[in-house]
Amino acid sequence: MSWGIIACAGVILALLLRLLAPNFFWQVFSPVFRGGDALAEKSHFIFSSFGDAAALALQNEQLKHENAALANENKALLAKEVALVALLDSASVEERSVSKILAGVVARPPESPYDTLVLAAGEKAGVTLGQEAFGAGGVPIGVVSSVSADFSKVTLFSAPNTVVHGWVGREHIPLAIRGAGAGAMNAALARSANVAVGDTVFAPGPGALPIGSVTRIDDDPTAPRVVLRITPALNLFSITWVVLLDTGIGHSGAFTFATSTP
Amino acid sequence: MMRGILTFSTLASVIFFPWPFAATLAVVGVFVEPLVPLAAGIFADTLYYTPHANALPFFTLYGAIVTIVAFIVRSRLRASIMK
Repeated sequence: MSWGIIACAGVILALLLRLLAPNFFWQVFSPVFRGGDALAEKSHFIFSSFGDAAALALQNEQLKHENAALANENKALLAKEVALVALLDSASVEERSVSKILAGVVARPPESPYDTLVLAAGEKAGVTLGQEAFGAGGVPIGVVSSVSADFSKVTLFSAPNTVVHGWVGREHIPLAIRGAGAGAMNAALARSANVAVGDTVFAPGPGALPIGSVTRIDDDPTAPRVVLRITPALNLFSITWVVLLDTGIGHSGAFTFATSTP
Repeated sequence: MMRGILTFSTLASVIFFPWPFAATLAVVGVFVEPLVPLAAGIFADTLYYTPHANALPFFTLYGAIVTIVAFIVRSRLRASIMK
């Protein structure tokens, strides 16, 4: 028997296991993914030890300053949020944080070719279809698209054929953000909108939350619209945990999958 | 033995390495084992495909296409040798 036939038989068995007992399947495979993560971390440590120590120390110092500045900014924003919540007499920050679910990432792009994350939290942890996923700093990154007892999958906003209706720039100009795969997104907008490189792009969450920024504008003089190339605010290839929250994005139709070519 | 290592490496790379690397290994593997791209495609979709988010399991389809092409090329090459 050839190795190809053995491989096909093995993967078909894995497929059957995935279809018939998805939770057990992920119980078996999640340690393998974690082993892969540990391997990648160790190899990164080995390679980074060859770096210039003086440059690394300088970078470390700069990051410390930046971290302190961001922590102060974060405190100021939190105080502002509390004040606004009190002003609007709505649910307190503490009450709203109860429904948040913290989930570890088992598999992520670029290993995952469809721009999906596999999370080590499922129905048992309270995960439901349509919950929005947030990365570090509360950046929205995608929506829960599949759930089993202990695991779930998040489809990222950058997944091909995914459309999320958001906004761009200080004036919050509405636009349809399309996933372009490999962590990238793009959007078409009228030239008269005057969007510039560096403008922030927002997605719906609790309010409008920044998901990335415009890094390039493709301007074809013969077309009435310009195409914005958007880079996510977070490096989707190194996310290790996410927060899941029911914001209603999965049910409101704001997050859809394109059925026709643009 | 080489065929076994290549087949196993392709399947392992679906888990441990970025998908373009796994796809490259599958294409290299097709020269010795035509079923390797199909197996890698099914394995990738088993791990990562989400029916709600994607209309088709593209990696299985691409793997099947490469495997079919490999079988056609091999059958033609064999026929040429017979002549």
